Amino acid sequence: MNEDVWLLIVVFVVWAVLALGYAFVPMFAMPGYAGVWGWGAAIFLALAVLIAIAARGRPKHRKVPAHQDHE
Amino acid sequence: MTTHPLLDHLNSLPAADKRLLMAFYGAALVALALGVVFGAGTALARAGFIDLSPFYGYRVMTLHGVTIFFYWLYFVQAGLLLTFSATHAAHADRLVWRSLAWTGFAIMAAGFALSGLGAGSSVPLLYDAPPELAREASASVGAFYLGYLFLAAGLFCVAAASVATVLMPRFTGHTHSLSPIGFAAIAWAGLLMVSAVAAINAFFPAALWAFEKGPLPADYATGWHVLFHNLHYLPLMATVVTWYVLVKALCGIESIYGPRFSKIVFSTYLIFVPPTSLYHMFLEPGLAEPVRVIGSLLSLFISVPTVLVFLLIVASLETHARAHGATGLFGWTRLLPWRNPVMAAIGMAVVNLALGGAFSFVLIQEKLAPLLSDTFFVPGYFHFLTVGTVTLTFLGALCYVIPGLTGRPLRTPRLLAALPYVATAGLVVFGAAGIAAGYLGVPRRVLDVSYAGAAPASWQALMTAVGIGGTLMAVALILYLAGLAATWLSRAPQPAPLNQGLPAVDWSGKWGRERAWAGPLSIALLVGVMALFTALAFELLRAVPLIANSGSH
Repeated sequence: MNEDVWLLIVVFVVWAVLALGYAFVPMFAMPGYAGVWGWGAAIFLALAVLIAIAARGRPKHRKVPAHQDHE
Repeated sequence: MTTHPLLDHLNSLPAADKRLLMAFYGAALVALALGVVFGAGTALARAGFIDLSPFYGYRVMTLHGVTIFFYWLYFVQAGLLLTFSATHAAHADRLVWRSLAWTGFAIMAAGFALSGLGAGSSVPLLYDAPPELAREASASVGAFYLGYLFLAAGLFCVAAASVATVLMPRFTGHTHSLSPIGFAAIAWAGLLMVSAVAAINAFFPAALWAFEKGPLPADYATGWHVLFHNLHYLPLMATVVTWYVLVKALCGIESIYGPRFSKIVFSTYLIFVPPTSLYHMFLEPGLAEPVRVIGSLLSLFISVPTVLVFLLIVASLETHARAHGATGLFGWTRLLPWRNPVMAAIGMAVVNLALGGAFSFVLIQEKLAPLLSDTFFVPGYFHFLTVGTVTLTFLGALCYVIPGLTGRPLRTPRLLAALPYVATAGLVVFGAAGIAAGYLGVPRRVLDVSYAGAAPASWQALMTAVGIGGTLMAVALILYLAGLAATWLSRAPQPAPLNQGLPAVDWSGKWGRERAWAGPLSIALLVGVMALFTALAFELLRAVPLIANSGSH
């Protein structure tokens, strides 16, 4: 797993924890906040999964020069 | 051929991609032109230079907020997101899912028309559009909300096209890692998608009510606040990503910390968005006291991502400059290509961000928010961010991108390089008078503050200065629009290179163990200024014989 994926996983975790807090901790109870941050967590998880799948699906016979990978 | 790889890349995009990107930039400039006219009208009315009835004045103020804050900022962001995705994702050379992006453009344009129609014909709702203000449901109020919903749906489509553009080379095996800007585009697109969801959460129940298909939303304020928080972060994130791209294009530098650290820094925007959002709720009477305290503490972290990107860019610039012989603590900054309109815009954007950022910290403190939120302090400080930072950055980017896409060299570059300073001068007059007015208790959304002679004389004098500063800002922005339109519409073939010999530096290559203190010292200075203005705010507001108990920011 490279940094493209794990950075988005960290984002997912932060957003999910916040969403759960807003949903279930009585002091913070704000369903509107919980819903939006929850959807956000799902979107960033989906992006992380998409990036991971894209990496796994690449043909192995292609060799990419290192200098072309970072612009 | 030019010596600017990004210009060459823009110029080599397929013609269909160029047409799409120019459609976004064209719509953005139309929105900006309308918003500037409405904004100037508002400022002139506040100064007493023109007479607007309260009803008409609120309509003009509503149109100003809607066209600038929603449509200028998001049409231009959509264009830049797609541009950076197509030119900076490793091995991407065209837009993917262009038809989806066109669909997004069409929906956003329909939203623009609907919002304009609603704002022009319904009860003026201001840009946050609380349904209670409309009092009665009507089709024109519904059109206002529908416009925002269309904008959200269009942005979602654009964000999806951007993600596809960045990831497609990875699916086809052309690359195994995203470039820093490719990663930033994914993060930016993700936040746009979340904001689209937040907009639907806020406006869909209100639209149902306006079309008499549902009850009056019970908790509109919470939905608005969570959306509004995202709408603070999105333009700032877009701004720093744009700096990163343009500084590299103008100076030829790389991040001295490497691509992985750049990605970590960009991801901090997403990590700090949700935890710092509570301060928008400080004025809600039902908020528990411990939540206020936690929200106040968390709000201190709001600027961490922007400060990190600033340090990354400044340290990289300073290190490369010193490696090429620059000397002096801040002397190296003199070598930057300030006569290039793009660099001048970025430079003034940084100055304005420091000013706006310092005052924003005064406002978001739990004890000061209730005292200042309904005063002119708010428009006084936030124009440093919306105009001075974000808008100047985006206009600077258009000075680079439009020549690249059209193949026509930038017109009136000397004038365009001077305009950031003119706009900032107007901002300083507007902002200083506005912030002082806020400290003295001038209300934020009342056009005539004379109160039939009962108000302090200083209030109207400060509003006169606000009108003068606002007019100067408006003139600078209209000249910007004229220069960009002249570039776009010029017909004569241009044999000159696209960069037209505009100043740039080439600091590419190796660097050593140079010291880079300018960035950290700037941040230390900023913290000192913030503490000073916070203390000043407490002292002044203790002396104001006013009690504030409601409002929003």
